[in-house]
Amino acid sequence: MLQRTPLAVAVATLLLGSVALAQELPPQADNAWFTEAQATLQERLARQLNTSRAKNVILMISDGNGVGTNYATRLWHGQQNGNYGDENVLPQESMPHLALVKTYNVNAQTPDSSGTGTAMLSGVKTKAGVVNVNENVSRGDCSTVMDNALTPITRMMSDAGKATGIISTARITHATPASGFAQSADRNFEDDSGLPEGCEVPDIATQLVTAMSEGWVDIAMGGGRRHFLPAEVTDEEGQAGRRTDGVNLIEQAQAAGARYVFDDASFADVGSLDDGPILGLFESSHMQYEYDRTGEPSLAEMVEASIGALQGAEQGFFLEVEAGRVDHANHAGNLHRVLEDGVAFAEAVAVARELTDESDTLIIVTADHEHAIAFNGYCGRGTPITGLCHAIDGEGVEYLADTLELADDGRPYSVVGYLNGPGSVIRKEAMPPALSMEADHEQGGGEGTGTDMAMNDADAEPAPIGTGGDVVAQQLLDRLDITTETDEAGNSTDYRWIGSRGPLTQEEATDPDYLQQATIPKSSETHSGEDVAVYASGPFAHLFDGTVEQNFIFHVMHHAAFGAE
Amino acid sequence: MSRTSTRRRWLRDHLAMAGAIALSPVLLSRSAPVPAEQATAAVRLRELYEKDGSFSALAQSLAGKRVPVRGFMAPPLKADAAFFVLTKRPMSTCPFCESAAEWPRDILVVRTKRRFDVLAFNIGIVVDGVLELGTETDPGTGFVSRVRLTDAIVERV
Repeated sequence: MLQRTPLAVAVATLLLGSVALAQELPPQADNAWFTEAQATLQERLARQLNTSRAKNVILMISDGNGVGTNYATRLWHGQQNGNYGDENVLPQESMPHLALVKTYNVNAQTPDSSGTGTAMLSGVKTKAGVVNVNENVSRGDCSTVMDNALTPITRMMSDAGKATGIISTARITHATPASGFAQSADRNFEDDSGLPEGCEVPDIATQLVTAMSEGWVDIAMGGGRRHFLPAEVTDEEGQAGRRTDGVNLIEQAQAAGARYVFDDASFADVGSLDDGPILGLFESSHMQYEYDRTGEPSLAEMVEASIGALQGAEQGFFLEVEAGRVDHANHAGNLHRVLEDGVAFAEAVAVARELTDESDTLIIVTADHEHAIAFNGYCGRGTPITGLCHAIDGEGVEYLADTLELADDGRPYSVVGYLNGPGSVIRKEAMPPALSMEADHEQGGGEGTGTDMAMNDADAEPAPIGTGGDVVAQQLLDRLDITTETDEAGNSTDYRWIGSRGPLTQEEATDPDYLQQATIPKSSETHSGEDVAVYASGPFAHLFDGTVEQNFIFHVMHHAAFGAE
Repeated sequence: MSRTSTRRRWLRDHLAMAGAIALSPVLLSRSAPVPAEQATAAVRLRELYEKDGSFSALAQSLAGKRVPVRGFMAPPLKADAAFFVLTKRPMSTCPFCESAAEWPRDILVVRTKRRFDVLAFNIGIVVDGVLELGTETDPGTGFVSRVRLTDAIVERV
């Protein structure tokens, strides 16, 4: 049985009622951690549930920004602002309601963005790789799309009289934004060039322009110009289109009354919807990473312009926002760009909250999935999140500047690593000539060399493996795990996958182009099936609680907009 | 007997003579690595470009001169080509975000002095060559480049 000490009684009393707060204070009551937690408690106790109908709904998705990636962004953002990082609060983290989200697709433990986008925008989970069709459709099979199509919430919002917008820093035809307006058997059907023969379902770019022409998408901004232009047409930046049907969808949209903007200058005059729908295509492919951005608007600027244009709608608006390149930088294993785009997303969240009223606007901030990102320890407070892990200072707070944590190989390591990806320390190495029969032969190894003997003796029986050197050599050879590859010209090369972690300095690790170390070699780092968070404010945001299925997000938006009194 | 088993047998026999020292990762490199301080002193690809894609003052000052540049070897466009593309970060492809190869803007074409050994896309290298600025189309492949290093020698970091 627990013993109740006087201190425990005091704390219990303190926590049970504010009346007792001033009377029985524990010794830690003056501690800043204690008082700040008490302030948070009072703020939470004062919260009122908002059960009003949502006039406006904003769904903000940071692609690939799971709990881990978001944590890294929190630290980066804080450290950029001069604090240790841990204590920092991102704009989405100050939102009052939160749940964890299970992101798997119907057929995938590790989800993809079109399956997750469909869950959020249409309310049902489906297979990986398909857009707004149910799980009866096999990926790539156009023939079953029409019988299994799902209606995205964008259409429902528009039918209810709301203005709608979809913006992304990825191509606007990419999986997540496409989930806001398209139905497709494959997310890669971004233009007609990829459609299978006989496919009667229009490509994703065509569907967007159709939706704008029909009037149920009022704003679409992002990258992806090439999917709207014929191959024989070059865009404003000299890049060729990808369409093979000769159709210029930008001209089609303009003919239907849309205004087309393509850079930061034309974007500056984007104006309101009074002058027609807005089509912004700022890059041939994806928009630039925030770190590299020039000549095109930021995500926050696109959010500001979109809300400004949509706010004039009498019945309110629906806006889908995607930070598409957090995901891409994670795929590349380049944490610096992940975090720069993560902060750009956070700034967009802040803008959305500032420009709207929590009483009538439901804002949902989430990710579609996480990545194979992981965090090493034990790092001292304030250790640069993109850099090497510094040791903890037992006598102080800030990390020990002169002491790096070392692995068993004697090398330092970065705080963040990836389980797989291009930063892998295991690399594909060609066998050196001294160990490669093919290489020696090409170089004309002299008569009587080991190479020639082997080549000339190709059909002979192998020498029996005896003892001593033969056995050791065979064991070593087995460990080498050699793979032979033959190129188009018929040249064979022996490879092995081998790795060790070389020396690494803090300057190198914090370089913007550095790839964090990974374990399993893959040219592109993968998603993971780990949960993501959903943050929410506004009408019915309190429905986000506990751990939910991803498609539940649609149902909260739908209820807040249509189901509430 | 298959070529692979022949190769393996030869390697086994050869290794018996060469001894375990031949398995050292250092010796598995095809060429001696560039010393760390030399690699650090090499120009970074990003230093040749401004954000808007124009050439930097550094690039213009180095045009026509022999310059060491750090980067990574993108997978060659075709076998036996005497040129490859240098990228500032390992050129990875993403099956979930790209339907075709995406070349970043800030790349550099390398024309080598002699046939080079292909290295994996994520092995750091320093390329020492004569810097050329200006748009040019490779007659063999049609690849358009804006910056080149010619008469180049490739060394791994």
